[in-house]
Amino acid sequence: MMLFHYLPVVLAAVTAAVFAAPLRAKVWVSLGITAAAGIALTVLSAPALIYGSAQVFESGGTLPLGFGAALSADPLSALFMILIAFTSISTVLYSKGYVGECLRTMPAAHISLHYTALTVMCLSMMMLVFCDGGYPFLFAWELMTIASFILILFDARRKEVRRAALTYLILMHVGFVLLLVGFVRVEMATGRSDFGALAEYCRTAGDPLPLIVVFLLGFGMKAGLFPMHVWLPEAHPAAPSHVSALMSGVMIKMGVYGILRVAAALPEQAPVTETVGMAILAAGIATGLWGVILAAVQNDMKRLLAYSSIENIGVVMIGLGVAVLGRCCGSDTIAACGMCGALLHTLNHSLFKSLLFFGAGNVYSRLHTASLDSLGGLARYMPVTALLFALATAAICALPPLNGFVSEYLIYSGILGGIAGQSSVMLSAAALAGLALIGGIVVLAFAKLYGVVFLGAPRTHDTVEHAGEADSWCIAAMAMPAAGILCIGLFPQAAVALTCRVAAYCFGARAGFSAAAAELLSEGSGALCRTAWILVAAIVLLAFMRRRALRGRTVAEGETWGCGFTAPNVRMQYTGESFSEGLESVVDSLTQNTVEGRAVDKSEIFPTGHSFKVRRKDRVDSLVAEWWMTSLRAINARMMRLRTGKINHYVLFALLFLLSVFLLSVFNLL
Amino acid sequence: MECILNTVLVLVVAAAIPGLVNRTRAVLSGRKGPRFFQHLSNVRLLLRKGAVYSPVTTPLFRAVPSVYLGSAAVAALFIPVGDLDPVLSFDGDMIVFAYLLALGRTAIILAAMDTGSAFEGMGASREALYGALVEPAMMFIMATLALVFGFTSFADVFSSAQPLDIQLTIIMLLAAYLLVKILFVESGRVPVDDPRTHLELTMIHEVMCLDYCGVDLGMIHIAGWLKSASLAILAADAASMTFCLRWWAAAPAAVLAAGLSIGIVESTQARNKLSRNTTFILTIAALAALTFFVGYLLQQNIEIG
Repeated sequence: MMLFHYLPVVLAAVTAAVFAAPLRAKVWVSLGITAAAGIALTVLSAPALIYGSAQVFESGGTLPLGFGAALSADPLSALFMILIAFTSISTVLYSKGYVGECLRTMPAAHISLHYTALTVMCLSMMMLVFCDGGYPFLFAWELMTIASFILILFDARRKEVRRAALTYLILMHVGFVLLLVGFVRVEMATGRSDFGALAEYCRTAGDPLPLIVVFLLGFGMKAGLFPMHVWLPEAHPAAPSHVSALMSGVMIKMGVYGILRVAAALPEQAPVTETVGMAILAAGIATGLWGVILAAVQNDMKRLLAYSSIENIGVVMIGLGVAVLGRCCGSDTIAACGMCGALLHTLNHSLFKSLLFFGAGNVYSRLHTASLDSLGGLARYMPVTALLFALATAAICALPPLNGFVSEYLIYSGILGGIAGQSSVMLSAAALAGLALIGGIVVLAFAKLYGVVFLGAPRTHDTVEHAGEADSWCIAAMAMPAAGILCIGLFPQAAVALTCRVAAYCFGARAGFSAAAAELLSEGSGALCRTAWILVAAIVLLAFMRRRALRGRTVAEGETWGCGFTAPNVRMQYTGESFSEGLESVVDSLTQNTVEGRAVDKSEIFPTGHSFKVRRKDRVDSLVAEWWMTSLRAINARMMRLRTGKINHYVLFALLFLLSVFLLSVFNLL
Repeated sequence: MECILNTVLVLVVAAAIPGLVNRTRAVLSGRKGPRFFQHLSNVRLLLRKGAVYSPVTTPLFRAVPSVYLGSAAVAALFIPVGDLDPVLSFDGDMIVFAYLLALGRTAIILAAMDTGSAFEGMGASREALYGALVEPAMMFIMATLALVFGFTSFADVFSSAQPLDIQLTIIMLLAAYLLVKILFVESGRVPVDDPRTHLELTMIHEVMCLDYCGVDLGMIHIAGWLKSASLAILAADAASMTFCLRWWAAAPAAVLAAGLSIGIVESTQARNKLSRNTTFILTIAALAALTFFVGYLLQQNIEIG
């Protein structure tokens, strides 16, 4: 595959095809390209997954900087390929309905640009997993960043969108520079810059820890590890919903992919591996807890979902940390459980998070608000969206019998296995406490989201007037991840076996690794499958018996019981803010609250109209963003002194510049 | 054969605990009180009734009782009574048990939100918070069991009963004590919540099912009993491990431990102020973590010595 020889041609062809297509057909062009590339590349990389070994695609030419090198697919990239292809296709399909609403109000060039960027983003991510490190990898990485930057800017008329997009672009490039430094360092040491060279560097270098930290920071920026997560909750509410779904479902997983590559490159039993394992575990716990607590106190659907993405990355990192530590102390089963859990949770998260963002998009495109407290009772008006959203909610809360539970079960098994086997007990206990608390609070966060938005009575007249079921293309796109959620939840064996093969490959198929661990995992997944079906059978049986019992009896309708109060109204319902009040009182110090307006005072017996708006901001955000901003402003202000507005000064500057060039060349310094 | 006996025992314990609670309360307050199995008659009455639904509710509201009871019933299938084999058991079934309870909790929270009632929203919000805080405590107790016995399945833990070291006895008694406390939280008993004041003053559990009646309410009650019984049996198993882990010891111990402790606490204590509940639950979690670490230290000591 001489991909990079023809890359300019491919990109130009994609752009031309999207721009040339008629307005309504642009989405089909985009979908066609994405689906063709996705399916073709998945098929191409499938042998890697089936045989559990790397597949190299010959390259016929030479290009500088390693761009002519052969592309390759190994089981890890094949697994991510499936994830990318699946979510990309459902995202582009969803955009048919979502962008369809804007076709009349937006200029055609704008739509074309959007679809070009969408297609390029999907393609660049597919390209990414086929590049084995080095400059081609960085090129694909950068292409992905720029395409997603354009995608976020879809609604560029809003000021906060431009701001969020810029924050995103800047932070991504900080991460990019770190990765660049990392790969250059590897190349200096070993002569090559792929991930294999990184493994070699880790084995041979005296102290590989600094370089690994650089890589982890660079990839962690994309993945949204604490405290580098600040771009996520800004970018997601700004971007259109399908873009959020793609970014949250797949793009941040590229950061995870990078971290997995780095973890796989670590030597098996070395002090550095243990340090890195502990660092990943600690980062995972911090990220997960921070994400879930901030998610639970948000009052904006998409911001809540963005924080929940951070939390899920934390869960994945906990799994990976457990795996690396398990590998370090020589326990295959712990390593396998942790790694499979991390990989499967990555896959699962891309399914339920894209479904959740699609659902939020359905709500937003009808009601043009994502604020929890102005929604309510939507299940009545959009029943299919409500049903699918409920499925995703249950899955993300890791409730049995759905897919989120399978992956968290694997991670928990790894942790409890570590405790039972007396290896790194204290660290496992920390991971256990973190994961349990995350699991508990995520239920609170999502019960709040689902309960306030879809259940109860509508809070505004707007809902009653404008709410309605979404476009059927949107529903069709949502059915794809929903099917995935049910499949993995009810038949976990296949997915677990798949991830087990990938885990075995990543950690080196040492003798005994695959066999013993795979047997344990297949036993576990079989047991989960049985339990899932017993649970489903029990629920269905009970529902059936209940229905039979009620047949022939009086089933009446009566107002919701107001405890004797006869004039309840919808404004008395619990709002999102009041639902999480208990938690807020516990975690108040973690957020920085901005309050606009005035709350009703207790002494006001007959309160008049009040407007009250509270926003719970991330403390890290202000810490990071404001520090940068103030120091940049200070430097800027100093530079501004040079801009005097007098022509003679400017002539002087030009003269000084020429003089300096002259002097430098005289002294041979240039 | 064993697992049938086990299931029957779980059901008997589930039916007996509320009866013993009611009898204890009646005796301690000097009343005549209801019959021992009065609550069964009450539920039988409920199961024969029709239903009234609020027009605000969606089909979710009607599906929740089945999910709630189904999850509690499947969770109970993992619980061994003494040395008997439960119906379901595999490595890591502790986690499945905890998450099945979480499934039931989430379902009932959503049902409460579905009615659009201020009271039920209030109950849901509190249940969600307390559920979140009690999760680490539960996990730490399971981790303690895994640490001490080296198994991650309830059945394996309790069938591996060898004569316990005196030091581990303390750990197991502590674990049993904490499980009973978790039972107070999970089933909404004093001091966390007061189920006797059936309407407005009941701030958490009962308030969430205010809009349920008839068959649905009956199912929710049964699910609550099963949940209590599961936790009570676990506590009894852990406690009776120290002297005699046999089913004929563990089953009565479960009924006595749960029934007497709930009954006595409810007759002698008042409900916590709500703001203190958070502290109460976090204390359980902290104690559970402490138990775990003490267990770890003891184990290290034993291995060295």
